[in-house]
Amino acid sequence: MAEAPPPLLAARGLGVRFGDFRALSEVTLEVAAGALHAIIGPNGAGKTTLFNVLTGRLRPSEGIVTLAGRDVTRLPAHRRVHLGMARSFQVTNIFADLTVAENLRLAIQAVDGWEPWVFWRGRSALPAAAGRVEALLEEAGLASRAAWRAGDLSHGGQRALEIGMALAADPRIVFLDEPLAGMGIDDVHRTKELIHNLVPARTVVLIEHNMRVVLDIADRITVLAQGRPIAEGPPAAIRANAAVRDAYLGSGM
Amino acid sequence: MSAFREGGHFPDGTTLGVGAALVALPFLLPSVTLASELVVFAVATLSCTFLLGLVGLLSFGQGLFFGLGAYVSGVLLREHGLGTLPAVAAAAGFSFLAAGLLAFLAVRRQGVYFVMLTLAFAQMGYFAMLALKDVTGGENGLTGVPRPPLLAGAGTLSGPEAVYAFLAGLAFAAYLLVQRIGCSPFGSVLRAIRQNEARAEALGYDTRRFKIAAFALAGLLAGLAGAMHTVFLGFVPPNAIELEMSERLIIMAIIGGAGAPAGAFVGAGFYVLMADWLSTLWPRWLMLIGVLLIAIVLFLREGVWGGAMLLLARLRRARRRG
Repeated sequence: MAEAPPPLLAARGLGVRFGDFRALSEVTLEVAAGALHAIIGPNGAGKTTLFNVLTGRLRPSEGIVTLAGRDVTRLPAHRRVHLGMARSFQVTNIFADLTVAENLRLAIQAVDGWEPWVFWRGRSALPAAAGRVEALLEEAGLASRAAWRAGDLSHGGQRALEIGMALAADPRIVFLDEPLAGMGIDDVHRTKELIHNLVPARTVVLIEHNMRVVLDIADRITVLAQGRPIAEGPPAAIRANAAVRDAYLGSGM
Repeated sequence: MSAFREGGHFPDGTTLGVGAALVALPFLLPSVTLASELVVFAVATLSCTFLLGLVGLLSFGQGLFFGLGAYVSGVLLREHGLGTLPAVAAAAGFSFLAAGLLAFLAVRRQGVYFVMLTLAFAQMGYFAMLALKDVTGGENGLTGVPRPPLLAGAGTLSGPEAVYAFLAGLAFAAYLLVQRIGCSPFGSVLRAIRQNEARAEALGYDTRRFKIAAFALAGLLAGLAGAMHTVFLGFVPPNAIELEMSERLIIMAIIGGAGAPAGAFVGAGFYVLMADWLSTLWPRWLMLIGVLLIAIVLFLREGVWGGAMLLLARLRRARRRG
């Protein structure tokens, strides 16, 4: 049997305390390069907190996070983006008053070397950036709404823009926090395909409540309950796991 | 167009309008000195307008950098025999560095706490001026500041017209700089920070660094205005660094509207002319400014300039339809 490749992302012994409340304890996680790794669990299980720690928005009280073998535990979020991490947010987090195209252009510009510091010329000077914006608009299915004010997009459109912004930095690993939440049925299908097509070129870590989608597209699933991982494995094993059923999935499976 | 909100273009019609207004002002106003005072405060207000309108930072400390620029230029002109232009440039540069240094502390906090820090800086500036009495002249101000030629004996500033031309030139340069920044990549980052700082950080922008740079730049503008004030008056009054100066600059910015750099010129113009006119009628005229400020905050959130632009856009739309 071939030796397993080293994980792209690894977390060891992560703990987060807010005062007396332990939001996360002893979370250990390995995400293989090119995998679509889902994190599921009931509300309040600590999924988003785990995302915030992995992407640098929150410092863990204990434990380490490594990206491609490099310890990134203390790196702020903006530095991690430049190492190839990107994320979308559970609550839609866009620049509502700017156009859809400008939202994406800002996301591209962020990783474009010294470009963000250029103050002596206009923004549209680089055709390469314009091409990238076009490509992302296509990928997110927003090409016809490029000039819209982002806040005027439908909920589904804003969720798609979120994902587009996460992809703009051409990340190695993308963290998607409930990308399907509140989407209509057509959007769910389209977005599911979009996410599925990201791998194996990119690695995806996904928080999602839509079990049908998760069981369908995930390679591996980690189940969190009360801040601790209670099970991990391929979808079939998770579906069959009695502890998971008790803690979370209920009788609907 | 509210250029800070949406980006806009450079140069545009407003650029031309501001340039034309600067040329016309001394002919339109009752005196050239009034025009000079107006452009000095326009640049000072521009520093508040830029911070508030583009970056979303409310600073009660711009009077400090105005005062720093005023005193540094005053001391350089009086004690060190520098030409007017290098003294003004050095004062602006000094304020740029001082603002950058203080911003390093201030950007660690957000919202109300950021505002309180800038307020504390402004307070400290005034008392530092009093403490350094030997350099600043204390409560008497710095008197007898000469007005030497611009550079190495060339370009004498003889008469109030020449002074106005020099100050108006600097004001236009400051306006061009801010308008240019407003629609540059750097400006787009500042706009993103105002809208949603957490998102900008998640996209990979080191938002603290951008805010420090913006604050330093605003310090440069305020310091430049302070130095212009010294050249204009020929002395440095202690109120140049008072807390009330900071307050006045914010009031001017809000009256004019912080949505576009032109708002600073309108706000400063409005205030300076009202002060000139009303103060002859009623010594308590500042109360009227208070009433005006309340009216603007309640009914004209984009200020006089923003309101006028909105009206213009509405008229245009109506004509197209009709």
